[in-house]
Amino acid sequence: MEIPAAPRRRALPFLFAFASGGILTLMAHTNGTLGHYGGPFFASWMAHGAGTVAAILLLAVLFRRGEGQALKGRAPLWAYLGGFSGALTVIFTAKAVNSPLALSGTLALGLAGQVVFSLAADKWGLFGLAKRRLSLKDAASLGLIGLGSVLIILFGRAGL
Amino acid sequence: MMLAALFAFSAGLLISLSRQINGRLSLSTSPLVASFWNHVVGLALLTAIGLVIGGIFPPGAADSPWWAYFGGPLGVIFVASGSWLIVRIGATNTALLVIGGQMVTGIVLDLLAGQKPVLWASALGVLMIISGVWISQKRS
Repeated sequence: MEIPAAPRRRALPFLFAFASGGILTLMAHTNGTLGHYGGPFFASWMAHGAGTVAAILLLAVLFRRGEGQALKGRAPLWAYLGGFSGALTVIFTAKAVNSPLALSGTLALGLAGQVVFSLAADKWGLFGLAKRRLSLKDAASLGLIGLGSVLIILFGRAGL
Repeated sequence: MMLAALFAFSAGLLISLSRQINGRLSLSTSPLVASFWNHVVGLALLTAIGLVIGGIFPPGAADSPWWAYFGGPLGVIFVASGSWLIVRIGATNTALLVIGGQMVTGIVLDLLAGQKPVLWASALGVLMIISGVWISQKRS
């Protein structure tokens, strides 16, 4: 029997990440609809509220089956505060969208912000996650995805 | 305009910051538990701001269609998946692949909704993104 040279364990998460972008598109639609009726603040508040209820229900089901094992010891207190950052994102985005930047400018600059932060986070292993060096292959792939996205944001989508 | 640009850029920073922090929490708990805390803490902050400034429930909010409330549960899955991904493929890969997926599915949604995208830009953009995703998951 032939033994595979290297397992393709890297493939699945990459495709999974791409697919999870689809969830974000659906969320943009549902939360945009809530925002249409009640404004961006109501939309974010309601999404967090409904999300909290959903998370409790999911955990109640999964904990009964003994979900997951932790890989590290106790988390530092700041690790519980990621939600602050998420909640502020909504307010910042609403302020930017309602400016001359409009949605496309906001998305393009937001993309830049994400790239800058995540490059720094990988380089220095910020907030307790592993350091990572980008391979040449990573860089080529990320360059293509980034440029393709900017093209779509600035010139491609009808609704933007 | 400069201030608006700063808000937009910072919103991007904050998205990646929260994914990084939630990723760290997931190492000590699980991606779903990290997503739960993300939502509870975010809800607490937004409620506090809403109580001070007001306007959590503006008139008309109750007219939202029922399906719009499913964004919350979707968000739980999205945040949990982000924590799962970031410890496996890193922050930059996660950020860009998620954005790429959002762009391509966004165009599909536009097409389904009968909005015609600008053909050359979206076709070229989708092609570049798909090539990037194809390269990313190849064995090096």
